[in-house]
Parts: sequence; structure tokens; C-alpha cells
Amino acid sequence: MHYPFWYVPFLTSPMLIAIIAILHVLVSHYAVGGGFFLAVETQHAYRTRNEAYLQYLRQHAWFFVLITVVYGAITGVGIWWTIGLASPLATETLIHTFVFGWAMEYVVFVLEIASAYIFLYYWGRLDQRTHVAIGWIYAISAWISLVIITCITAFMLNPGAWVRNHAFWSGMLNPQAVPQILARTGGSFLLASLYVYLHASFKVPISDLRSYIGARSARPALLGAVLVTLGGIGWLVMLPDSSRAALMTASVLNVLTVLIFAMTVAVFAMLYLGPYRNPGWVSPGFAILVLGAGMAATTTGEYLREAVRKPYIIYNVVFSNQILPAEVPHLRTVGYLNGGVWTRAYLAIRPEIPRGPVGSALATSMPAPANDREARGAAVFQYHCASCHATTIGYSPVGQLLRGWTPRMIRDVASQPEKVHFFMPPFAGTPEDSEDLALYLMRMRLPHPKGMYYGGPDLRSARLLR
Amino acid sequence: MNPADLLAPPSPLGFPAPYWFMAFFKVLGFSLHAVPMNLWYAGILLAMLLWWSGEHGRTWSTRLMNRMPVIIAFGVNFGIVPLLFVQTAYYRVFYPATILMAWFWLSVIGLLTLAYYGVYLYVIALRAGNVSRFHRAVGWISALFFIGIGFVFANGLSLMNNVAGWPEIWRNTSISGAALGTALNIGDRTLWPRWLMMFGLALTTVAAYTAFETAYSGHREGEGYVRWAGSFALKLCAVGVVWYGITALWYMLGTWPHQTLEAMFAMPRVPLTVLTGAGPVLVLLLLWLQRRGATRRVALATGFAQFGVVGLNAISRQLVQNLELAPYLNLMDEPVHTQWSSLIPFLVFFLVGVGVLVWMVMQAVAVNRREATAPSPGPTTG
Repeated sequence: MHYPFWYVPFLTSPMLIAIIAILHVLVSHYAVGGGFFLAVETQHAYRTRNEAYLQYLRQHAWFFVLITVVYGAITGVGIWWTIGLASPLATETLIHTFVFGWAMEYVVFVLEIASAYIFLYYWGRLDQRTHVAIGWIYAISAWISLVIITCITAFMLNPGAWVRNHAFWSGMLNPQAVPQILARTGGSFLLASLYVYLHASFKVPISDLRSYIGARSARPALLGAVLVTLGGIGWLVMLPDSSRAALMTASVLNVLTVLIFAMTVAVFAMLYLGPYRNPGWVSPGFAILVLGAGMAATTTGEYLREAVRKPYIIYNVVFSNQILPAEVPHLRTVGYLNGGVWTRAYLAIRPEIPRGPVGSALATSMPAPANDREARGAAVFQYHCASCHATTIGYSPVGQLLRGWTPRMIRDVASQPEKVHFFMPPFAGTPEDSEDLALYLMRMRLPHPKGMYYGGPDLRSARLLR
Repeated sequence: MNPADLLAPPSPLGFPAPYWFMAFFKVLGFSLHAVPMNLWYAGILLAMLLWWSGEHGRTWSTRLMNRMPVIIAFGVNFGIVPLLFVQTAYYRVFYPATILMAWFWLSVIGLLTLAYYGVYLYVIALRAGNVSRFHRAVGWISALFFIGIGFVFANGLSLMNNVAGWPEIWRNTSISGAALGTALNIGDRTLWPRWLMMFGLALTTVAAYTAFETAYSGHREGEGYVRWAGSFALKLCAVGVVWYGITALWYMLGTWPHQTLEAMFAMPRVPLTVLTGAGPVLVLLLLWLQRRGATRRVALATGFAQFGVVGLNAISRQLVQNLELAPYLNLMDEPVHTQWSSLIPFLVFFLVGVGVLVWMVMQAVAVNRREATAPSPGPTTG
């Protein structure tokens, strides 16, 4: 409401963050773990004078740069791009808190790019010691980058003492920082090995060299799986009460928790039975399977990490609908629409139908309000609810969630959402605002599904529900 | 309605550092970003065009494109600095402007990824010596995507300053008060000269780069190429200067409000305005000195001069932005809570980082020097 809300039909704008973030982490972890792989293994290959392995590592360095420096770097910027569009107030808060954290991260990012290119393009041209040193500069820079970014994302889940003192280091060294750094470091080692298997299985013919690569990468992968598990346990222990409750309550999160556990066990078993015990198993099929499982576990982990924060974007600091908790009492006095910059402007201008074919097409995804009160309710819905809910089709659509609800039930959820579901933010408006919202929700509500049998003499009674 | 009413309240956290500190890094970061950005903005298009222009043109095209992946990597990287500080200092105008055009703004990520991989695809073919029609098409598409990205940026950054235009744009592209993200700032008359002016500046940067690059590593292509490159750089810069001059005049005289014009042509800003406008002529003169072949010392001076031109442009842009936003945004009013506990570690990181970077570059330069003194294998074609 302080900033214009970006309405993304069906998906909701914050889901774009989740999509880009997941696309990024699948490569960014490799960017860290792969750096260690290249530094350690190049050093080892030089020491053992293993020319065939060195040749493979050079090929892998090219693949690594192509994936991480282009895709990894741009999607990293992409996350930033998207959070500014979808969650501007939270981004504003993060940037004003951690600007020099990001600036430090930027410094190591420059070192990453420079060292990655020098490591690759000066292969065989630099003396071995300098070459390995540059590999290590990359690996350490990438890991520092991981640490800084993880501290900031961990802050969003549990800001710890920062809420009281607003001190930079309280924010960075929050209760979630160490567990998440452990988990992400482990994830980096694990995913890097899985990428190595994928690359080696396609690029290296079946040979002793491929088995050698499989065996060399198995130990860091297994270590990574252990670190992920330890970090995951720490993450669970350090969760705020509401997040732990969300994990227990939402059935989709129950399923995902089991899935992440199952996937981690599966990856661990495949690594142990495969490259660790039988390095010859590293075939394209095996590599795709194990990398797919690793990616599924990572994706699930990221989704869980985002989902359990609700109703906050930054726990106790910014609600998921771009309201500061401290603003709620004021908004309940002056009214929700009156209390925000762009919502107040809406009351003054009342634009209803966007111009142009694209605008009109996008607008059809939102049920048209029938009267003035519903129109106000639609604006409340956009700014108060649409960060997490689509309208009638899409991500967590309100129309579907309210199927068959009575007006009283709808009025209850509109006026006190946090009482109905603790993972929803409180309603930040007057009773009149909530009534407007309820009226619009009733417009979106879909009927109770037809043909459902709830007991009675025979199935014919189901017709009563039509 | 009063457009000023659309500005969010200041952050309760305040600025984490004094405004001047953030503005310094924003301008420095933009200047560092603008040099490689100019090279891909105009350079890829020229590289595609010159592929057909004879032996030396093709050599130039090959040499530039061979370096393009690294140029893009550093250009994108340096772009993060101004993005960070613009969001810290100008967040109240940056977020609304980009949200109003959200889909276009977001498209930058997709376009950049495709354009960047397109460049890689082209360069891989170039190094393998099998640039086919498909690869040339990919190169052209990358060039056009980069120009398109420039257009989106010109829209976003001009919309940041065009607070007066927000109500109308929002009215036409919103539903129930929420932005659809489908707007562009094409109604703003500053947009077109700003976008085109950057292209003129980019032509001069490519020209300066050509002189610099030829002086330092172009000799292995033979004397004929060195002479051609000197002459080409001069002609390219001349076109760039004329282009830049026309669009800059259009921008200043055709779009600046009276107050901005008066402020930029009064003391103490007038020397900066004149230097910003006339700077590229100095680069042109330096290139004229090298028209028959670059010398390292003059080429180095040309490089510094062009960086100065880009830097002056960034400073002037910053001043104009502040003047345009002055009716709406007083940056001096924002509370400042300087975060010494993180600012000092950042400065330490910065110094250590620069040290490590310099060491790495020195290692690479030493290798290059060693290889340059070794017997030449003959002209390279990439």
C-alpha cells in the first residue's frame, strides 16, 4: 500500500520470486561447491601429475563457467529484480539494514568472476602454484558470498535480537544463520558432485578415469549430505514457534517435509552404493537420476524455507502483504485504504478498467465488482490478500478456498484472518473495510462442489446440495 | 491529484550512510558499469555489421567478440553497485517506477540470459572457425536484445524521475488499484533522447576501446590492421560525437524544464555541463592523433579520457536526476543512521578485495607479457 501492488494473475507476484529463487539456488550451490571441487582436484591432479584428470578438470572448468558465471550470476540478480517488484517494503527494509553486507558480498563476487575467468583462460599458462591459488581464491570468495547471503535470508526467518536493537551484526548473526550456513555449505558440496557426475558421464567415455572421477567426488558429496542433515536439524530447532506450527499444520508442508527427508536418504544411498562403493556406476542415467533427486530435495527445501515464514516476509518485521506490524493499530483507526499511499490514491481516482488490449485481458482474471462497496473490497483484496492468493484460479485461489462458505464464515475470515489461520496476517482496517472485503469475497466465492454425499437414506440426497 | 502524494513515507530505518557516500558509490559504480555496457550496447551490433566489411573489419569483429563474454560478465557485475545504491537512496521512486512497468523490467533478466548465451554460442563457433548463418543470426539477435534491454532501462530510469507522469500511467494500467506492470514511459519526452544519447556515447566508447586494444595487442594482426583500426576508431568516434551531440542537445534544450536548464547552466554546475558535452571531442582529438596507428601512451590517455567522459556523464545525470526529483523528494530530509559497524568492515573488504584483484590481474598480465615476447605464431583469427 506504500508502493503499488503488482497484480500477477493466477500465479501471484511473490510466486515469481519463488520460481526465480529456486532456478537460482540449483546453480548457485554448484557455483560454491564446484569452486572447491576445482581447487582441491586441480591441486591433487598437479601433485599426482595426472594429466588425464587435469584435462578433464579443464573441460569441467569451462562447463562450470558457462553455467555459473552466466546463468547463476544473472538469476542471482533476477532474485533481486523480482523481490523489488513483488515485495518492495521488505526489500526496502532488507537493503536499509544490510546494504554494506551486500556491498561486502559484491566485493567477493567481483573476485569470483575475475578468478573464475583467470582460472579457466590461463589454464596451462600460469605456473601450477599460482593457478591453484587462483582456484582457491574463487572457492573462498564463493563461500564467503554464500555465508553473507545466507545470513540475510536466515534473518528473514528469525531476525533474533535485531528486532530490539536494529544492529547490523545482530541481524547477520541471527539464530538461523549457523544452521542454514551448514545446510547450504553441505548442499553445495553435494550438488557440485552431482553436477560433476552429470558432466563426466557425458564427457568421459567409460574408463578408469570416469570411475576415478566418481570415487574422488563421492566423499565430498557424502560429507555434504551429512552437513545438510545437521543444518536441517539446527534449522528445525531454531525455527520460530509459528513456523514450526505451520510445518505441522499445513498438509502440503507435511508432505514436502517427508519428501525432502526421503530424497536426502535416497541421494545418500545412491551415492554410497554408487560412486563410493562402485565408482563404475557413474553412467548418464545414474547421473541424471541422482542429480534429479538432489534438485528435487533442494527445490523442496527452498519452498519449505519460504512457506514457513508466513504470515511474515521478515519474521515480526514485515507481513507478507507489505504491512509493518507497527502500522496495524493506525490502519485499524484510519481505515486500510485511507492509510496507504497508493490505496489512498485509489480512493481519489478510482480507476476501474485498464486501457489497452493487454490490460483488458489481464483484468478479466479478476471478477468485476458489482457496486461501490465491492469495488472498495476489490482494492482491499488486491493490497491485503493478493500477495498470497489468486482470485478464482491459480495459486491458493480465494474463490476455491471459499467454496460453499456462508456469509458469516466469510465475514469472520475477512475481519480476523489471523484467528482463522495463524499463518495469515491480521486484518489491518476498520470493520467497514472488512465488510467491503467480505462482500467482494462473496462475489468471488464459488459454489459448494456438486454431487457430494453426506449421509442420509440414499445417494439421491446428494442432489439437495446442487 | 498531486503526484507527490504517491511517494511512500521514508523508511523508519533511515539511510545507512550519508547521502553523499551512497551517491559517490552509485556514480562510481555506474561509470564502471557504463564502459563494458557501452561495448556490448553498440559493439555487438558493429561486430555483426563489420563481419561483412572486408578482412580488417572481420578481424576487428572477431577480436571484439572473442572478449565479449568477459566484458559482459564484468559489465553485469559492475551494474550491481548502482542498483544497490539506487535502491538504498532512491527507493521511494525506484520501486513505484519499476512496479508500474514490472513485466518489462522483469523481461531484462530473460533477455539478458538469452543475449549472453547467444554471445557465447557465437564465440564458441568463432573460436572453432565455423560461424554459420545460424550463428550470425544468433549474434544479431543478441545485439538486438542488448539494445532492447537498453530501451527498458531508459524507460525505468526515466520513469523514476517522471513522478508527474505516474498518476496517468497508473490510471491506465491498473485494476482495483493494483498495477498490471504493463506500462512503459513512452509518453515521457526525455525517454527517446536519453536512450539514443547513450548509444552515441557507446559509439565513442567502442572507438576508444578499439584504439586502446589495438595499441596493446593488435600488432600481432599486422601493420595493415593497426592502420585500419586507427582510421576506423577515428571515424566511429566522429559519428558517435555527432550522434551524442545532437541527442544531448535534444535532451537538454528539448526536454529539460526551465529550472533544470537554468541550474545546469549556472555556476557552479556550468563547467561540468560544458565538459560533459564537450568531453567526447577530446577523445576524438586523441583518436585523430592515432589515425595511422595507435601508440600505447596516447591509447592509454584515450582510455582514461573516455572513462572521464563516461564518468562526467554519470555525474551530470545524477545532478539532473536530483533536480528533476527536487519537487518531490528531498534526500537531505531522510534520517541518517550510519552503520559504522558494517561500513568499516565493508571498507576493509573493499581494500583487501582490490588488493587480491590487483594481484590476480598482475599474474595474468605477467603471463601475457611473457607470451608476447615469445616468437609470434602469426596473425590470429580468433
